[in-house]
Amino acid sequence: MALFAVLQTAFLLALLPLRTYQSEVLSEPLPLTPESLSVSINSAKQCLHLQWTVHNLDYHQELKMVFEIQISRFKASDVIWTGNYSTTVTQNQVLHWSWESELPLECAIHFVRMRTMVDDARIPVPRFWSNWSSWKKADAQNSLGDHPLYVFPKDKLVEEGSDVTICYISRNHQDNISCYLEDVLTFGKQLDQSVWAFELKNISFLRKTGTNFYCQGQGVPEGVVLFVSKVLEEPKNFSCETRDLKTLTCTWDPGDDTGLIQLPSYTLFESFSRKKTLCKHRNRCDWQVTQDSQEMYNFTLVAENYFRKRSVSILFNLIHGVHPVAPYNLFPKNVSATNATMTWKVHSIGNNSALLCQLQLLGEGKVIQQHNISIRVNGEYLLSELEPDTEYMARVRCAYADHFWKWSELISQNFTTAEAAPSEAPDVWRDVMFVSGHPTVTLFWKPLSKVHTHGKILFYNVVVENLDEASSLEVLSVPAPANSTKVTLNQSSYQIHVTAHNSVGPSPASTVAISGHPGNENVEEGRINGTEDGFPMSWKPQSRNATGYVVEWCDGPQNLPCVLQWKNLGPTTTGTVISSGAFRPGVRYNFRIYEISTKRMAHLLEKKTGYLEELAPSYNPQVVPNNLTSHSFTLSWKDYPTESQTGFIQGYYVYLKSKAGEKCHRGFEKTVLPDNSVCCKYTIDNPDQKTFVMKDLQPESVYEFFVTPYTSAGEGPMDDFRKVTTPDEYSHILIHIILPMIFCVLVIMIACYLKSQWLKDKCYPDIPDPYKSSVLSLIKSKENPHITIMNVNDCVPDAIEVVNKPEGSKIQFTGTRKSPTETKGTKPAYLDLLPTEKNYSGPGPCICFENFTYNQAASDLGYCGHFPVTSQAPHCPLGPLTSPENLLKTLEQNYMNSLGEIPAGEANLNYVSQLASPVSGDKESPPTNPPEPALCSEYKMQMAIPLGLASPPPSENSSLSSTTLLDPGEHYH
Amino acid sequence: MQAQSMQRTLLSLVLRLLLLCMVATGKCSGKYHELLLQLQRQADLMQNPSTLLDPYIHLQGLHSPILKGSCMERLGDFPSEDVLWRLSRQDFLWTLNTTLGLFLRMLSALQQDLPKAAQQQAEMNIRGLGNNIHCMAQLLRGSSDPEAAEPTRPGPGPTPPPPSLPMLPLDTFKRKLRICEFLQGYHRFMRRAGQVLRGWGERQGRNRRHSPLRGLQRAAQRTWPFPGLRRLAPQGQLPR
Repeated sequence: MALFAVLQTAFLLALLPLRTYQSEVLSEPLPLTPESLSVSINSAKQCLHLQWTVHNLDYHQELKMVFEIQISRFKASDVIWTGNYSTTVTQNQVLHWSWESELPLECAIHFVRMRTMVDDARIPVPRFWSNWSSWKKADAQNSLGDHPLYVFPKDKLVEEGSDVTICYISRNHQDNISCYLEDVLTFGKQLDQSVWAFELKNISFLRKTGTNFYCQGQGVPEGVVLFVSKVLEEPKNFSCETRDLKTLTCTWDPGDDTGLIQLPSYTLFESFSRKKTLCKHRNRCDWQVTQDSQEMYNFTLVAENYFRKRSVSILFNLIHGVHPVAPYNLFPKNVSATNATMTWKVHSIGNNSALLCQLQLLGEGKVIQQHNISIRVNGEYLLSELEPDTEYMARVRCAYADHFWKWSELISQNFTTAEAAPSEAPDVWRDVMFVSGHPTVTLFWKPLSKVHTHGKILFYNVVVENLDEASSLEVLSVPAPANSTKVTLNQSSYQIHVTAHNSVGPSPASTVAISGHPGNENVEEGRINGTEDGFPMSWKPQSRNATGYVVEWCDGPQNLPCVLQWKNLGPTTTGTVISSGAFRPGVRYNFRIYEISTKRMAHLLEKKTGYLEELAPSYNPQVVPNNLTSHSFTLSWKDYPTESQTGFIQGYYVYLKSKAGEKCHRGFEKTVLPDNSVCCKYTIDNPDQKTFVMKDLQPESVYEFFVTPYTSAGEGPMDDFRKVTTPDEYSHILIHIILPMIFCVLVIMIACYLKSQWLKDKCYPDIPDPYKSSVLSLIKSKENPHITIMNVNDCVPDAIEVVNKPEGSKIQFTGTRKSPTETKGTKPAYLDLLPTEKNYSGPGPCICFENFTYNQAASDLGYCGHFPVTSQAPHCPLGPLTSPENLLKTLEQNYMNSLGEIPAGEANLNYVSQLASPVSGDKESPPTNPPEPALCSEYKMQMAIPLGLASPPPSENSSLSSTTLLDPGEHYH
Repeated sequence: MQAQSMQRTLLSLVLRLLLLCMVATGKCSGKYHELLLQLQRQADLMQNPSTLLDPYIHLQGLHSPILKGSCMERLGDFPSEDVLWRLSRQDFLWTLNTTLGLFLRMLSALQQDLPKAAQQQAEMNIRGLGNNIHCMAQLLRGSSDPEAAEPTRPGPGPTPPPPSLPMLPLDTFKRKLRICEFLQGYHRFMRRAGQVLRGWGERQGRNRRHSPLRGLQRAAQRTWPFPGLRRLAPQGQLPR
């Protein structure tokens, strides 16, 4: 070989002088001009493709040559690009070169020429350029049709962020063409008479279906679609693994989608085996492991799209990248209360390689046990120390034992252990009430925690053991979930045992002792203050043998039913903090601390009361003012309960306002209210004082007061002031004087009256009243109780003496007027009292007494309730009326006359009233109404009769009637 | 030639089986007015551009006023209004069914260009309308109403051949606009079809008062794209 090289060099050196000689002789450069230059257009790639040959290349050798290429646009003289292309040329070789135009080639005619020069080190300098080839024209417009408007480039693929030049060719130069990128009007640069170009800078991705650029002239818009691709990202997290030592799987993160319908391609290349595979997925590729026990792999992943190629490589050891498939068939076996055996299976790897499996036991979501087990096919492990009646989750995963790289996926299985008897005695407390001397015990117990129940609690057994009577046991079974029961005992001592039962058995017993007699309840109550953590309290032990302490309290406010709570504390404890989520500010809680003796007997040790946080009183007392005087009044609010307030009531503020605005009284201090008004304030620092006397007040003054309690957190709400007006200073004096004076006057008046009565009786006694005769009362009782006056018929006279004394009469008349008979001068008819047969025309004689208090008009006219005596008239002046028929006729006739027949002059009515009774007259005067006959008494109707008719004699009953004056024409009904 | 005939026979057999299956599984309403109302409503629904055209415009970025303005129906894509009015009811149904069948094929070819949801919904609508067209045709065939063979509006001119699928240009921009025009034509065609169907209802109302008895023989002899349906018994009668 060395010999051949030496000979070749010698041959070349021999030739070169010959060649130099030739040149000198011909005076011409070597004719290595490019020949057969042709130019074609690749529209899709916007490339000019040049193809040429170099003739006259001799020696069957390769020469390194440089080609200078010039490209012109529109005109050959407008060179837009000049560049060199170097390559090694052989004889008759067809050379190719491409030039990508930024301007779409359809929009302009391009011209290309080139020249060449030998650039071979073997050829001595100087070197000369060949002549230019002739211009070759590349005209894509020839292929266009006769459409008036064209826009290029069509369907160009561009990368996001790059620049694009778009052009249009308008055949109609008159057209006013506007171009838009999407909706945005875009301005371009005129390249030629008919060609405009638009440079779009930093183009961005809009949508997968491309960015529209269009121009509109006269007709339909023409446009192009630019398919913008996002920049292809380098694959990230490239890694490979095998699950079975037979197939490798390489995965990676391809990054963002490029946004093109054409997805980038991903190729996996392995350099040791020099194998390559085209990946079917954009983020994963499978590789078959060969049987030649190749352990090391050098993978290169190449991502490629139209614009870019990205690659990443890894060196991979097959054994180090085993990721086993998840195990399967994980089951619990032989599950007891505290143990369980887990079994599972695994997929074999290679030639039954060993696997390291991890078994985890989870309780309530937390890993509580973890065990590593090395297996080949089947796994089994005994889990112990489990809790009874507890749900667990077992899960298992495996890794390649020879070289750990990655755990398999987990599989899991739930199981529950069997039940066992409760492991702890229930926490029991009691509330003892003595009813009629007998203790009634309410037992409370707290539900056992899940850790101790070991199964579902079915019931609680309560065993009551009478310590004073041997073998006296009472057993109560309380079904769950009850947490209390009531037991009535007698005055013996008892022990009560409470056990919780599940399906397996009972828990240990919890014991409380009850004495038959009430203990010492007279323990002073102390106050405690709550903190953020609760109620801190401490106590002094009373005995050295205490087995523990219990603090009990009610969780709710006092006015609600007590939800008894308690806390057990050890024998050495002398203090604790009682905390509860139920504690609320402003609520008073009462605590009782018990000491538990060795016999499980509870003795009250201390009482505590307090607030978690004291609040200001929520309402004010209803204050009643009383004992009001001109200088003082008393305020009282005895109904205000201090125990149920939102804090310990420390006292009360009494506010006083007076209209005069005088100085505050003693003990008061001036204060400014929230409404900026000034008043006086008195502080009562005794919460039990619920009265207050306001003294030293001014009479006839208006005072306003207001009482509010206060706690350590503040005073109660500001309510309205109430007004009190003090009375006049002398008003009570007046009352004390005037009232006795009035009394005295009355006494004197009564005494005078009695004295005058006495004088009257002595000096001018009353004339006896015939109506009040004792005889009448006798008659009434014996015969006719209705008869009120003495009837003549009732008296059987033995003889009657008629004394005709014209100058007088036995009947006394108190008035001065004369009787009608006197005016006539005839025998007075009304004195015919004898019941003779001649003049008797009725059932009985009538005695007429003139009524002087009534019928004055008639009297004045000379009528005294009877008819005027005429010659034709019967003897008895009352004759026409003594007969009922006559009476009725007369009445009817006169009544009818009064209605229409009586002339106006005669229609004057004489009213007869039954009111004119004897009792209506003056007591001093004799009875004016005569005793009436029975027949006359039948006439009770009040009626109007014309003047001239005698008034009927009134009866006793008639006294109930009334007098009515009728107008002429009015009818009586 | 023989192979081509065999292919046609096979195709015809397949189509018949398909339609028989459709008829066997679905039940046609025998109530003319109910069916007509259903057809009208379906046509009204499908003429709404928001069902297909608008999603397409949005997806392709053709929402500028200039591009939307140039998205007009191209003559020849779908039968014109005049033609539809001049068709007898049976011819109309045949034309409607054929045109929508072609459109359905076009939709399948445009899967890459159309929003998937809109395309699937449009396909379902067309298939639903096709079922009702089938039922209406069945009803008309079983009827002795001579109007079924008469054009909705009388006028000269033969029944046009069914439209053909448009050739889509390779240039993506032109293709976008062309598909836009085609979809626009589809919606307008459905609007015209709806108007014709409403014309049926109006005419039915008028002719209830004076319905001349005319033969239905001519229409019965017309070529139906799915001749197997003719043997099915109608389930209802046209109202008179």
